[in-house]
Amino acid sequence: MNRRHRPFVAEILTAIGLLVAPFVLRWLGVPPNTINPILIFGLLGIGFDLLFGFTGLLSFGQSAFFGSGGMVAAYVLTRTSMDNTLVALLVAAVASGVIGYLVGLVALRRTGIYFAMITVAIAEVFFFAEFNPLAHWTGGENGLPGVPTPNLRLGFTTIEFTTNEQMYWFFGACYFIGIVLALRIVRSPVGLILRAIRDNPLRASALGHNIHGYKLAVFIVAAIYTGIAGGLLGMMQGFMPPDAFKFETSGEIVMQTAIGGAGTLFGPLLGAAVWIYLSDLFKITLNLGAMWKLILGIVFVLLVMFLRRGIAGGLVDLWGLAAARLLPPRPARSGVEDAAAPPPAVLLPRARRGSGVGGPADEAPRTGTILRASDLSKRYGGIIANRNIDFEVDYGEIRGIIGPNGAGKSTFFKMLTCEVAPSSGTITFEGNDITGRDVSDVCQLGLTKSYQINQLFERLTVRQNLEIAALGVLRGTFRLDLLGSMSGVEGLDGHVAGTAALVNLTPRLDTAVSELAYGEKRRLEIGLALATAPSLLLLDEPLAGMSPGERVDTVALLKSIAKGRTMIIIDHDMDSLFELVNRVTVLQEGSILVEGTPDEIRADRRVQEAYLGGIEGESA
Amino acid sequence: MSLLEVSGLNSFYGDSHVLFDVDLHVGRNEVVALLGRNGAGKSTTLKSLMGVVRPRSGHVRLDGAEIAGQPAHEIARLGMQLVHEERRIFGSLNVEENIILAGLTAPNRWPLERIYTMFPRLKERRESRGTDLSGGEQQMLAVARALVRDPKIVLLDEPFEGLAPVIVQDLMRTCRELAQAGQTIVLVEQNIAAALSLSDRVYIINNGHIAHEATPAELREAPEILQRYLGV
Amino acid sequence: MLSWGNFISQMFNGLVSGALLALIASGLTIIYGTLGVLNLAHGAMFMLGGYGGWIAYTYTGSYTVAVAAGTIFVLLVGVAMERGIIRHFYNRPPEDQLLVTFGLGIVFVEGVRLVFGSLIKMTPPPEIFRGITNLGFMVYPTYRIAALVIVVVALGALYLILYRTRIGMIVRAGIEDSTMVGSLGINVFKVFMLVFGIGAAAAGFAGIVNAPIVSIAPDVGDRYLVLTFVVVIIGGVGSFPGAVLGGLIAGQLLSLTSMIDPAYSEIVLFVAMTLVLMFRPRGLLGTAGRE
Repeated sequence: MNRRHRPFVAEILTAIGLLVAPFVLRWLGVPPNTINPILIFGLLGIGFDLLFGFTGLLSFGQSAFFGSGGMVAAYVLTRTSMDNTLVALLVAAVASGVIGYLVGLVALRRTGIYFAMITVAIAEVFFFAEFNPLAHWTGGENGLPGVPTPNLRLGFTTIEFTTNEQMYWFFGACYFIGIVLALRIVRSPVGLILRAIRDNPLRASALGHNIHGYKLAVFIVAAIYTGIAGGLLGMMQGFMPPDAFKFETSGEIVMQTAIGGAGTLFGPLLGAAVWIYLSDLFKITLNLGAMWKLILGIVFVLLVMFLRRGIAGGLVDLWGLAAARLLPPRPARSGVEDAAAPPPAVLLPRARRGSGVGGPADEAPRTGTILRASDLSKRYGGIIANRNIDFEVDYGEIRGIIGPNGAGKSTFFKMLTCEVAPSSGTITFEGNDITGRDVSDVCQLGLTKSYQINQLFERLTVRQNLEIAALGVLRGTFRLDLLGSMSGVEGLDGHVAGTAALVNLTPRLDTAVSELAYGEKRRLEIGLALATAPSLLLLDEPLAGMSPGERVDTVALLKSIAKGRTMIIIDHDMDSLFELVNRVTVLQEGSILVEGTPDEIRADRRVQEAYLGGIEGESA
Repeated sequence: MSLLEVSGLNSFYGDSHVLFDVDLHVGRNEVVALLGRNGAGKSTTLKSLMGVVRPRSGHVRLDGAEIAGQPAHEIARLGMQLVHEERRIFGSLNVEENIILAGLTAPNRWPLERIYTMFPRLKERRESRGTDLSGGEQQMLAVARALVRDPKIVLLDEPFEGLAPVIVQDLMRTCRELAQAGQTIVLVEQNIAAALSLSDRVYIINNGHIAHEATPAELREAPEILQRYLGV
Repeated sequence: MLSWGNFISQMFNGLVSGALLALIASGLTIIYGTLGVLNLAHGAMFMLGGYGGWIAYTYTGSYTVAVAAGTIFVLLVGVAMERGIIRHFYNRPPEDQLLVTFGLGIVFVEGVRLVFGSLIKMTPPPEIFRGITNLGFMVYPTYRIAALVIVVVALGALYLILYRTRIGMIVRAGIEDSTMVGSLGINVFKVFMLVFGIGAAAAGFAGIVNAPIVSIAPDVGDRYLVLTFVVVIIGGVGSFPGAVLGGLIAGQLLSLTSMIDPAYSEIVLFVAMTLVLMFRPRGLLGTAGRE
């Protein structure tokens, strides 16, 4: 896999690039005062890319942090006796982090367009606050002049970076640290969970992750990056401009990232380079003052329309095409090692974390009731979806649920997994009352579901999908090891390999989900649920949308999984379902009609009537 | 030639293959029922005919014109109407607005009075907003919206689902009157008794395939077929 | 100083700007409700209306022609924008829709800047509305009173179009369920195009009516875009009555706060938005719907 095969390639290339850039650019005749702002915008773009490219949160309000960080750093350096620029940057980082936390609390209450609108509105408040109520501290529309150039106090000596050339090394070092940390974050378990949130927040949450916590965390990280970049801006210009707070600043960050390529970390640097180069070209060389922004706007619109992943994304695609052409039998990107590796031990982790509650294949299988629903009802407005359901499943049982359309099966499942809160009644799982709990908590307790319609992380590989599910079990709902490594998660590889083997996806581990056939996606859907090592697994129409051949395979698969597990299955394909289950519960019109073994159910007259609708009931 | 001819129809929901090479035909003035268990593909068949779900492959000919792959509004103009299972009444419009809206682009349109004669209840509630209607009234309105366009063929998706028996009787009577007046209907219904009593011919769909074709009388003679495909 | 007269006149200011915001916001909200697209170029539509009207005024000297020309111009821009670009984004993620409309907004603003420069342009009010009027309890600029009346009439017209015409019927039905509208034989793409045009024209109309009060510059729409967001969040995204209510609330909050201290007016508005988000996440008149 990438992370093991090419350690630090990106880091080393970045370092080399930063080291040679000034010489190459000087040779090209690009002045250093062009390159320094590129680094600053590249740095804040890293944070923004973590937020937008990796987590899918499009904020139009980054100017709030850019301005605040810059003003705080400038204030420290110009109005206090502190003249150590690193300390000022540290203070700016803390301040923007705190502001990011507070803003995030409000903005992250909503997603999508609401999130975008709220961030715009909040950033505007910062703009107005800077100009008026806080003008005493920020200098209002004059900004804060007299910000010193960067310095480095090493104790025994002090390095001053006074010229543009000297400052380049300071900013370059900041960018390098920024990119190294961001690469660590992206490769960490948290980084993978962030991508899970981007692709399918509902499923990420259903796999036991506290997505709100992670979103808030990445929002704060982005704010800190942006705030530090703001601090650098003041040092570069010798004064902190109030313009940093403008909506246009937020817009520039968004545009540069989209031009360069979101989700690449380096895209924003590329975008900033294009942006600043074009602006200089038009303004200075071609003397076309106002036109440059129009041209950039048009370029931006065209990129969004046709090159969705920006320049960096386009380059990656080109590279992929070229590589495919040059190296025809391209080794799976994951590398040879996996293929050569000994077959993985087909074992799922047996003990669940924390509570030590026995898992499905535990040495001493538990007996008794695993799940009890008492007097469960659900009303939507005036419609009653479920009415007074009493339902119990024992450890080791395979239960089927059937019922005609509109019998309330799906609602019932959603209540069991706490996706939907019941109107009345209680649900007890392994002795815990889980009524009204959060879906991620319930997954952590060992109850999870595979969905009727695939809920996968489409832009990731099969391995990453399974890792996301396994991380929920192995790390709990929330853990902020932003700089941890995937290989540091104990048991992850075995867990993923074991699950993949169970659902017959081992050869496809490094294939992108979008390339899978439907049957494979369906197996992965079940695999995601299995990878959480559930003590009770709910399957919502596992056979839905399958061809007859796929049905046979999947039934065989479910039989093999069923050994030693507790499962509840809804499906319409009764022949297949009755082959799998020990007992069947029949729902009709929101209530339990009857419960029994498959043979009893087949013979039951009421069930026949429910399904055939009283064929003798009326004649024309 | 049949009014509606379907051959080799394949439909997907996302990646999920739902209909497999469905062939069927509906003659002029005929009432055809599609029976099958939940999830067998009955609703998807109707939606694919109407163009709400775009079929991946296959032919659908309505009165000689190829309609597969056309947008729903074109198919509607060519004379097909689908009464959705969820009824999909516009809640912010009142009853009369719902009906007028439906008739706006119809080449021939029923006068409102004819609709109100068929559904006197709708006349009483003509000023009520869609959200304020009972389930039965909503179903009547959904059917009325289709009829006002004087369609060549009406597709009814579970019209009796969730309605009180009295109202089912009412709607059954309406359907029977329509059939007698020569309206071509394709009916999807879980209530097998109702479906058999209304239809001239029946297709049974199983796992996205047409599994069986018969007349209601033949099915009454051979209940084991119903048992096999629809029962438990 | 706080005085009764001052208070009344601020209330009136709030009413004028509130009605204006309500009109802009209703344009944004019917587009979003029908098409599911949040148009970040909506502020640019406001600006284009102002410029379109200003050009017409320069040539004809007639306020009426200016208002009509500005509105029709933006209507056409909106239709072209939907036809040429937005239509290709219905099946793309909302983030892409935001990006492309944001980019289009910049293209409009910078295009205008290129042609007309950054300097402000004045469209004077028509002769009969110049000067001030004594209302008995206060003296107030005549054009502001006229603008209030005009905008209220426009809101009423928009209401009539939406609630009393067949087109409005289709639009309201389309906001609820555009697939079903298609199943009833109506070409929803044409409806979408029209809605986008009407929504844009509402902003453009506001832009030209506002031009004699606040002179126009290429970036005049930016501030209104942000305020419009706050208005629709408070009122409920996708709801026409919500946009009107939100606009009136926002107008009053802005002007009454600026009576005490103008510096805090936007901040108070933002606090109000936060409170709404906390206690009624869907907005005051919003219903469950798209996210």
